[in-house]
Amino acid sequence: MLGPFLETLIGGLLTGVLYSLVALGFVLIFKASGVFNFAQGAMVLFAALTIARLAGAIDNKEVFLGQFVAAAAVLGVALALVGWYVWREYMARGGGGDERRKVLLLSLLGAVAGGAAAYAYGKGAWPMWLAIAATAAIMGLLAYAIERLVLRHLVNQEGIILFMATLGIAYFLDGFGQTLWGSDIYKINLGLPKDPIFLFEGVFPGGLLVDPGDLVAAVIAAVLVIVLALFFQKTRIGRALRAVADDHAAAQSVGIPLNMIWLVVWTVSGLVALAAGLIWGAKLGVQFSISLIALKALPVLILGGFTSVPGAIVGGLIIGAGEKLSEVFLAPILVKQFDLAGGGIENWFAYMLALVFLLFRPQGLFGERIIERV
Amino acid sequence: MTVRSRVFDETLLAVEGISLSFGGVKALTDISFDIRKGEIRAIIGPNGAGKSSMLNCINGFYHPQQGAITYKGVRRSQMRPHEAAEQGIARTFQNIALFKGMSTLDNIMTGRNLRMKTGLFWQALHFGPAQREEIEHRRAVERIIDFLEIQHIRKVPVGRLPYGLQKRVELGRALAAQPELLLLDEPMAGMNIEEKQDMCRFVLDVNDEFGTTICLIEHDMGVVMDISDRVVVLDYGKKIGDGVPDEIKRNQAVIDAYLGVSH
Repeated sequence: MLGPFLETLIGGLLTGVLYSLVALGFVLIFKASGVFNFAQGAMVLFAALTIARLAGAIDNKEVFLGQFVAAAAVLGVALALVGWYVWREYMARGGGGDERRKVLLLSLLGAVAGGAAAYAYGKGAWPMWLAIAATAAIMGLLAYAIERLVLRHLVNQEGIILFMATLGIAYFLDGFGQTLWGSDIYKINLGLPKDPIFLFEGVFPGGLLVDPGDLVAAVIAAVLVIVLALFFQKTRIGRALRAVADDHAAAQSVGIPLNMIWLVVWTVSGLVALAAGLIWGAKLGVQFSISLIALKALPVLILGGFTSVPGAIVGGLIIGAGEKLSEVFLAPILVKQFDLAGGGIENWFAYMLALVFLLFRPQGLFGERIIERV
Repeated sequence: MTVRSRVFDETLLAVEGISLSFGGVKALTDISFDIRKGEIRAIIGPNGAGKSSMLNCINGFYHPQQGAITYKGVRRSQMRPHEAAEQGIARTFQNIALFKGMSTLDNIMTGRNLRMKTGLFWQALHFGPAQREEIEHRRAVERIIDFLEIQHIRKVPVGRLPYGLQKRVELGRALAAQPELLLLDEPMAGMNIEEKQDMCRFVLDVNDEFGTTICLIEHDMGVVMDISDRVVVLDYGKKIGDGVPDEIKRNQAVIDAYLGVSH
């Protein structure tokens, strides 16, 4: 009995790490702007779709324009970053004047160069690393566009208004991704080992079956999570992010540029979406249902707390393990006892758990305590 | 209490003909005054006189429809808040605006934000230059904590602190930026006498020791007349008095505005 139990548990935990990864994207944006970003799922889908199409290139008829845009974006963003860095150094050394124009010009040149490169490259499939880099740049651009076109105009508005805005962004991205890249089911081939590994064959008969793809994904997710947690807790920019989350006006008054912080946060959560999209895409194939995985992140957030990075991790693990265990072990008992038709516990278990948590510990396991003065 | 009589020559900030309205409501009408380097300048007036609006214009939260503000010799019609901060203007708020989930230490550290320069790369690694810088700024923050006598609440999330201490932490955050011009919006509102005395002492010490120019809004007339070098009086968005405390005390328009007058 212990063997199958452990096997289910491990499988569940590994899936849970992937839930954590999606939840992380939510936590980042919620921490920094107090917004529940409904578009996180759409961002995952968009990123996965972009990678799949750039790297896959099954038939290249309509991909060409996309690659063109992507390459232009990569070089543009890269050069803009370099320009920005140079500008900062320049200002730090006591330089004056507004160099922003030069940065913009530089990135424009980069975009042109990128376009030319893409044109020269032709229609072939891109190597995976290049596709990932290009997608990262595109997610950065997307973050910039969201900040510039949407968030900037909604500073100091109610949370619900910002939430509605992200709802709009979500549906736009869902559609726009398909407009750009097509709506078939695509594959992402990361070259992960597919053969299952068997652990502890000496202890349990037949050993414990573990999917190596899940294992790699879990390691990637764990590294991401640790880096992000440190970044938020220990650095100036992390502190600035938390400050913006707490009070817009006060943050501005100590010289934190709100727009810049939002840009950073949305870019980072775009990159987290990219990681999630990559892994989920490799696991399930890139298709519309990936964007629904975002809904699985909801109970994870309620469990872990909306503002806690470690909470997102632990919440993900609990949900992942809980739903697998309940499906395998609880379902047969229920079916037998109450003469039910079948399982399906996996689908609602997470939400039930979240509901119970809401009743007893609404701030989640690691969330900030809610203190109200009356 | 002695009446302070100091003389200041150099103009740090000059407000010229500022008018601000929200829709049809005129918050400020053609306000002009100056703040001189090193002085403590008070803005007083009855509720709704436009005092906070005035501070918000100086610090870039509001953009006046007319007029300009000259700060350190540069004339601007508007400025964004983080630019104001970069130029050495720090402030506190009427209703405390601290980062409630963060500790006292972290709150004050945010005040050093602009002075920290290491790039994103080292920040992300939290190693090398970023770590050295963090330590150096932590030292500066500890000095402020000592100065304000809040050592014991260093690690406490500020949301849990009593009101008077929160005001003090907010002052600490503003001081951490080592501002040239410090704007205090009702630093003593809602405090008891003891807390007010402490706060007065801090304001005077900041002014004396660091030479920081201070512009404050305050309702307690005793406090204002004691600690400020010059006072400007607003009523219904118009300036009705400007001068040293003794002049203001004798100014009939000011007395009328505060006591009400039968027309």
